[in-house]
Amino acid sequence: MAIAADGEGVMGAIQAGGGQRDAAAFDYRRAGPTVSRMVVGAHLRRLREVAQVTREQAAEAIRSSDSKISRLELGRTGFKPRDVTDLLALYGVSDEDECATLLAMARQANTQGWWHAYSDVIPGWLEAYLGLEAAASLIRSYEAHFVPGLLQTRDYAHALIRAGLDDLSEAQVDRRVDLRMRRQQILHQPAPPRLWAVIDEAALRRPIGGAAAMRAQLRRLIETAELPNVTIQVLPFSVGGTPVGMPITVLRFPEGELPDVVYAEQLAGALYLDKPADTDLYEHVMNRLGTAAAPQKATAAILSRILEET
Amino acid sequence: MPVTKDSPVSRTPFPEIDITVPHSARVWNYWLGGKDNYAVDRAAGDQYRELFPQIVDTARAARYFLARAVRFLVGEAGVRQFLDIGTGLPTVDNTHEIAQRVAPDSRIVYVDNDPLVLAHARALLTSTPEGTTDYIDADLRDPATILSSATRTLDFSQPIGLFLIGVFGHVPDDDEARSIMRRLLDALPSGSYLALADSINVGDAHREAARRYNEGGPVAYRLRSLEQIAGFFDGLDLVEPGLVAVSRWRPELSPFDGPHVETTLGGVGRKP
Repeated sequence: MAIAADGEGVMGAIQAGGGQRDAAAFDYRRAGPTVSRMVVGAHLRRLREVAQVTREQAAEAIRSSDSKISRLELGRTGFKPRDVTDLLALYGVSDEDECATLLAMARQANTQGWWHAYSDVIPGWLEAYLGLEAAASLIRSYEAHFVPGLLQTRDYAHALIRAGLDDLSEAQVDRRVDLRMRRQQILHQPAPPRLWAVIDEAALRRPIGGAAAMRAQLRRLIETAELPNVTIQVLPFSVGGTPVGMPITVLRFPEGELPDVVYAEQLAGALYLDKPADTDLYEHVMNRLGTAAAPQKATAAILSRILEET
Repeated sequence: MPVTKDSPVSRTPFPEIDITVPHSARVWNYWLGGKDNYAVDRAAGDQYRELFPQIVDTARAARYFLARAVRFLVGEAGVRQFLDIGTGLPTVDNTHEIAQRVAPDSRIVYVDNDPLVLAHARALLTSTPEGTTDYIDADLRDPATILSSATRTLDFSQPIGLFLIGVFGHVPDDDEARSIMRRLLDALPSGSYLALADSINVGDAHREAARRYNEGGPVAYRLRSLEQIAGFFDGLDLVEPGLVAVSRWRPELSPFDGPHVETTLGGVGRKP
């Protein structure tokens, strides 16, 4: 299974609305191709609608089909500069700054993200996630069984990846660990995203990599929770019963017009949801977990206690 | 039966988040372009907007009023402590962010009685290292709890900015509302400020939208008259320009300026 898509909705339900201000404020240099494509596509669709041009007419202008216009506007394909220029002319956009901004974003949307260097160990269904995570302003994550990837130590990640289903060589395991460590840099970059993680106590009690590695991992959590952009909440055993056990990640983007994206990893694929009708339930679960889990101060005490007991 | 650590009755229950009726903080979040709302909130927000299209501008204007009032207090008035009752869901510019941008050592206490709002506030409204933010789970109608909990963070011998933005309509009884306001203001030292914004009962479409909204089952919101809202400032010295449409209170040139909204008033008063 590749990206589980239901046809028109998944990763495509970009709401119209907003304005050029949003496009300019969006940091496309950091976003990587996935989100840049979505933003450029949404912007082109809005311009087309304002100009009251049909998809068929737009397709004609770039010597293509209306389904190609659909794919472009949903951000599922890269952009040729000439196509963008022709479309902007057709839509009556003559402002030089606006054209230059959109062309720069379209160029960025065609470049490869840093993770391309790891493509040998990235399953296809994960690649879009890396692009979305790199562009997010808020990452909400729930994990029942493992420490979230963005918070793992190298030893913990190594033990976890080696214990996984895939039959990997030691070199491949190392590559995946490298990729995971590289992802973590977003938490330390200037203007970093905020990470709001709810971790079940069970994930902290299972000594992945052995007791020493787990103690180092717990110390890492205690340290990382001190970062101003990181909120960690432990869901303690004293909360009887949880609404779900599967890991969930919800990504929010600085660009207001992009919908939240829910990422739910499965054994050999992942679900990406972005229509409110689909994401409401997941956000509700995250909200329930966030209200039930121990607040930050209490979490610090719980982490210290588990560290003592490990 | 003694409740022991292991007994099932000691288990913490999951807090209920009711998504079958609209919730004011989530509806406001929807009007402000946020994503922390549910289908029922979007439906209530859309219904309100159909009857009173200016509601989105009104919601934004009230947020910008809050921002300007915080900047006035922390900048011109030198206030470093804030008590923000009816926090709402986090949005772009939150009280502590505005205050701490000017004075990083500012101390802010957020008060709300909704578990969803509190969870978001605790997780997302975090302070600079120099300042402090705290969160109180309390109802507006319980000023004693608000004040006693706020002493954890605020020094009641120094001026405090009290913020009540679009919340007093949740106390429909006039005597009770006046009593709550008196108890809150009595606890503040001289040189403290009240910043208040609230919608008034003018305009047929506005009143009808509010009436229909209240019928939808949320915690009801009562629209008061201009005179009643002005009464909340009794005993305070209103700073210029007084109690006016929120968009007319010390406006700044801003690319976000919308049209003036005359249905929501705001003012800032100083306790002598």
